[in-house]
Amino acid sequence: MLFNSIPFLLFFSIFFILYWILLPENLRIQNLLILGGSYVFYCWFSWKLGLIILSYSIIAFYFGFYIHKTPDLKLKTRILHIGVIFYVMSLAYFKYLNFFISSLNSAVQFSGHTPNLHTLNIILPLGISFFTFRILSYLFDIRNGKLEPATDLVIFLSYVAFFPSLVAGPIDKPQLLIPQLQKSRVFSYVKAADGLRQILWGLFKKIVVANNAAGVVDFAFGSNRLHGFVLIYGAFFYAIEIYADFSGYSDMALGIAKLLGFQITVNFNNPYFSQNIADFWRRWHISLTSWLTEYIFTPASIAFRDLGKAGSIMAILITFLVSGLWHGANWTFVAWGLLHGCYFIPLILMGKMNKKKSIDPAQFLPSLREAINMMATFVLVMFTLIMFKADSIKSAANTYINIFRIYPFSDFKVDIPLLIYTLSMLAIEWFHRDRNHGLDIARINNMTFRWTIYVGFVFLILFFIVGGEHKNNAFIYMKF
Amino acid sequence: MQKEEILNQLNIIFIDTLDNPDINLSFHSTANDVEDWDSLNHIQLVVAIEKHFKIRFTSQEIQSWKNIDEMIGSIQRKQV
Repeated sequence: MLFNSIPFLLFFSIFFILYWILLPENLRIQNLLILGGSYVFYCWFSWKLGLIILSYSIIAFYFGFYIHKTPDLKLKTRILHIGVIFYVMSLAYFKYLNFFISSLNSAVQFSGHTPNLHTLNIILPLGISFFTFRILSYLFDIRNGKLEPATDLVIFLSYVAFFPSLVAGPIDKPQLLIPQLQKSRVFSYVKAADGLRQILWGLFKKIVVANNAAGVVDFAFGSNRLHGFVLIYGAFFYAIEIYADFSGYSDMALGIAKLLGFQITVNFNNPYFSQNIADFWRRWHISLTSWLTEYIFTPASIAFRDLGKAGSIMAILITFLVSGLWHGANWTFVAWGLLHGCYFIPLILMGKMNKKKSIDPAQFLPSLREAINMMATFVLVMFTLIMFKADSIKSAANTYINIFRIYPFSDFKVDIPLLIYTLSMLAIEWFHRDRNHGLDIARINNMTFRWTIYVGFVFLILFFIVGGEHKNNAFIYMKF
Repeated sequence: MQKEEILNQLNIIFIDTLDNPDINLSFHSTANDVEDWDSLNHIQLVVAIEKHFKIRFTSQEIQSWKNIDEMIGSIQRKQV
């Protein structure tokens, strides 16, 4: 189910009532509801998906026990590796087999022979990259002694399939979510109201900003008027679209979890206000960055520690290679990842990678230096998004070249309403940058004012749900 | 070597590596308490510590420390 759909609205309304009213504060019932609800949510797409996630979860549950029970560290690690290989291979099968086959075919063709391997008809299970990483995190943490294996299967299955964060993250660490599943949730009006506000904010970003930006992006990249300014305009709104879409979804996920009494991982922290690329990755898709830092970057840095800065550079490139591949089965994702890795090189050489950058929340506007840093970082990221979006490296290269073809831009008009929504979104998030989300306005005491804001947003959202194009309803990151 | 002595030597290493003369470690210090001590600098610190005490940690050990006290424990074990 998509969060922004009628089936989900119906499902969640019923679920919410059952969850808080049917034997309230009974832990067992609450967890069974979460489990049942999560599987209904997921199987809505296809019952086969339910089978996949169920079998993956049960296997992980038992692997967790074996790893934990084994006293010898080397054997523990060996069992862990078997588990990791199983999950990575399955991910590889669903995500990369066709990519591997077509790359192999291309290589064979390049060497002058006729390729005869056919790509298979493999459907990618929704969210598989996300829940596979949840499971891997669980297994790694047990081996590292950071976590005891879950003893309750219902709780563990719920952790893996937790419907608010199932199809596009956040990738919750087991230490964050499992303890919450082990205690009964008590209804809190304050949390629930905050959750609703966050959902409203997420819906605004998705329906009003992202869906409209998608139209502009399709226009800019779909047409053959491939001249400089249109492409830059398209790239700018693609950067806006992907941010509004993904962070909007994440806000909805967090809000829905709050309505159920859960606190899940924050996934975005105003990434377009970053002042350098390291800062950007601490603010964009935070749960993935944490996962990659803990399980790829840190072990790699340790392994290469005798090589000084060169070792750190290798570690960062490997990390971003994995990140690129995680996003998808295309050389464009690999190139995208490596580009970001390369962006880190100057920071590593200057020893500035970990210098935390923050702008005083009391500051009304960024300083000139900060503003320049933010714009430069945004442009760097926007540049890589052209690669991220492209169907092939060749297509991306064409786009990059075409940006420099300047023609008179007579047949193109800037979408002013969209620009207004975009600037409003950015302004609201800028002025609320020290808060949890754009609509974190509980501290405004004037109830009339607050309700005016809520009604205004709901109106705007409904306007675009009714009047907008529906082909953009799915969230971009669901395909990863 | 005694814990206090190791702590003093670690303090010097931290001051040197993080280029911050105000560092004053205690047994309970964690990365949250010390400015500039984070994932990348952590590795630099580990390398400096290994060189100074002429020991080699395993990857497991490095990732297991929750505070300075645990780090000192690993160092003492290596020195036996």
